Amino acid sequence: MEEMKMMLVDDEERFLSTTEKLLVRKGYDVLTAASGAEALEKLRTHNVHVVILDVKMPGMDGIETLRAIKKEYPLVEVIMLTGHATVESAVEGLKAGATDYLMKPTEVEDLVRKAEEAFAKREVLEGKIRVARTRAMGKSPREILEETGGR
Amino acid sequence: MKKSPYGKLKRVILASMILVPLATLILILGIGYYYFTTSLESSTIATVKRIVADHRHMIDSFLSNRKANLEFILHSYSFKDLADPEMLHKTLKRLQKESDAFVDIGLFNEEGMHVNYQGPYRLVGKDYAEARWFKEVMTQGAYISDVFLGYRRIPHFIIALRKTENGQIWVLRATIDTQMFNQLVKSVRIGKTGEAYLLNAEGVFQTERRSGGNLMEKDPEKLKTPSPQTGIKAFIAENIKGEPYLYATTWLREKDWLLVVRQEKADAFRFLHTAAYIIVIVALLGGGAIVGLALFLTNRIIRRMERMDAEREQLGGQLIRASRLAELGEMATGFAHEINNPLQVMKSEQALMDSILLDVKDKGTLKPSDDLKELEDSIQQIGLQTGRCAEITQSILQFGRQSEPVLQDVDLRTFIPEVTKMVEKKADVHGISLKQRISDDLPPVHGDRGQLQQVLLNLFNNAMDAILMRHGAEGGELVVEAGAGEESKAYIRVKDNGIGINAGDLKRIFTPFFTTKPPGKGTGLGLSVCYGIVDKMGGTMTVVSEKGEGSIFTITLPAARSGRSE
Repeated sequence: MEEMKMMLVDDEERFLSTTEKLLVRKGYDVLTAASGAEALEKLRTHNVHVVILDVKMPGMDGIETLRAIKKEYPLVEVIMLTGHATVESAVEGLKAGATDYLMKPTEVEDLVRKAEEAFAKREVLEGKIRVARTRAMGKSPREILEETGGR
Repeated sequence: MKKSPYGKLKRVILASMILVPLATLILILGIGYYYFTTSLESSTIATVKRIVADHRHMIDSFLSNRKANLEFILHSYSFKDLADPEMLHKTLKRLQKESDAFVDIGLFNEEGMHVNYQGPYRLVGKDYAEARWFKEVMTQGAYISDVFLGYRRIPHFIIALRKTENGQIWVLRATIDTQMFNQLVKSVRIGKTGEAYLLNAEGVFQTERRSGGNLMEKDPEKLKTPSPQTGIKAFIAENIKGEPYLYATTWLREKDWLLVVRQEKADAFRFLHTAAYIIVIVALLGGGAIVGLALFLTNRIIRRMERMDAEREQLGGQLIRASRLAELGEMATGFAHEINNPLQVMKSEQALMDSILLDVKDKGTLKPSDDLKELEDSIQQIGLQTGRCAEITQSILQFGRQSEPVLQDVDLRTFIPEVTKMVEKKADVHGISLKQRISDDLPPVHGDRGQLQQVLLNLFNNAMDAILMRHGAEGGELVVEAGAGEESKAYIRVKDNGIGINAGDLKRIFTPFFTTKPPGKGTGLGLSVCYGIVDKMGGTMTVVSEKGEGSIFTITLPAARSGRSE
């Protein structure tokens, strides 16, 4: 089974580094990005399963980033990290395709738990996709080849 | 009560409401009084004049009749006839038949010798040559004397007539009864003090005066007299005592006697006084009514204006408070949000420290020791305290923004002591003994922990404020009781022995924006928010209080349906 790969997106550098260290210690594979743009940049080169995305960021904010991610990488699970005052944006995020949300300040345990849930969901989804592909294989291998190549 | 800002306006309204109608009233009364008194005065004077004229006429005709009686005798008889006592006696009787006023009759020769006399005195043979009346009658032919004493030493007056008969001159004289004449003159009666009397040319009383003034005495008052031809003079003058009298005087035609009719002015013009009284009473009553009405209306107007002002002020105050509150909420929300980010970092750091410590312990590079334990405890504390900070920011955010409450079953048996602990220090500092009596049967309730905490903290803080106001630094007592109430309900009772709440404030205590604290010290929202929270949980909140004794707030909450486990 594949290992979960997470990406933390937050403008608070110290939060990023500390949480990264924590998660690494817990044995997770973690990437960090300090802005929405950087997150999108890193997604291009890394296979990330779960993105923990802060709602409130300077420049490209959480919701915009979420939309961009979902547009380009629909299979990536996104968990919104919101302050209390931005519950509305969390709801907006959920509507825009986020898997879940976390309330700041959050416990690392909660973060990990939600990330695992999201990952499990993705696994299920990928399983279904695999089954679908296996069925399709008999029909048109070329198509499948094309599809896998495109990924 | 503070001074009305409408003092000046009140005075203006009051003054105009009093002065305008009052001036009109007084003007009307004054004009009425003036015309009424003028006409009354002139009619009174006219009456007096008429009376004096009538009276003069009567006295004049009395005198002229008596003179005519005598003249008739004079022409009917000769000296010789009358010298006969029998004849003279008959004549007197005939005269007395004509008028009772004739007292006696006498016949005089040219030398003034009393030749014959009929009457109550013995006067025959007396010599009158030097008597004043005799000289007068000898020169004038007819004479009415002033009142004098004569030989008889009794006041009387006479009518004497002269006759020349065949070269012989003689005089017939009759005495008039002064008593009767007096009655005749005095007979005028006007009002209570009206009187009439006669004065001779020298101002000597010829008849008695009712109000004092004997016959033949000199009238002490100097009177204005009309010239003989002008007839009647009416005037007001003071008598010797200084009392004003209304006088009317006129000269008699038959004799140079002055007829005086007089009446005390107050008596003559008594209707004037009545009128004056009535007018004063009307003026007083009307004035009183005007002043009363003006006061009443002015007070009403001013009170209405003040009330409107108060309402406007109150409304303004509420708006200001509301907007201030909104600002405060916004600020608090922003603040809490900003604090959340560093809190998040701190939380992560603490978790990292915890994790590293665990690892190091597992690897055995760090031996278990007391110091290590202390360190662990310290790190634990950091986690706990950050958690507390997080809760604070959450509650601020809750205040600033109505967020969805996190509903869960809350075991009040542990929850209440937790909240009480938060105010323990404050109570201790202020010397307030904090007691908890929490019954074991207290059921759990379903609600938001933060909100419940907010309610309890609010009640505790209010109670402590009330205690401080009454007791200062010692003697305060705050009791928290909780237990199972009726119909599967939980009750929480917060009792204090503070200053209490007066009945008026008690009614409004849960009203939003109601506060007894000085401006800026309290929002007046605390209890109303608490009430709202309890109400939303399906509970009730009541208060009983006695001024100077303390207050008891009681909250009842429905027990959680899922039983008593949390």
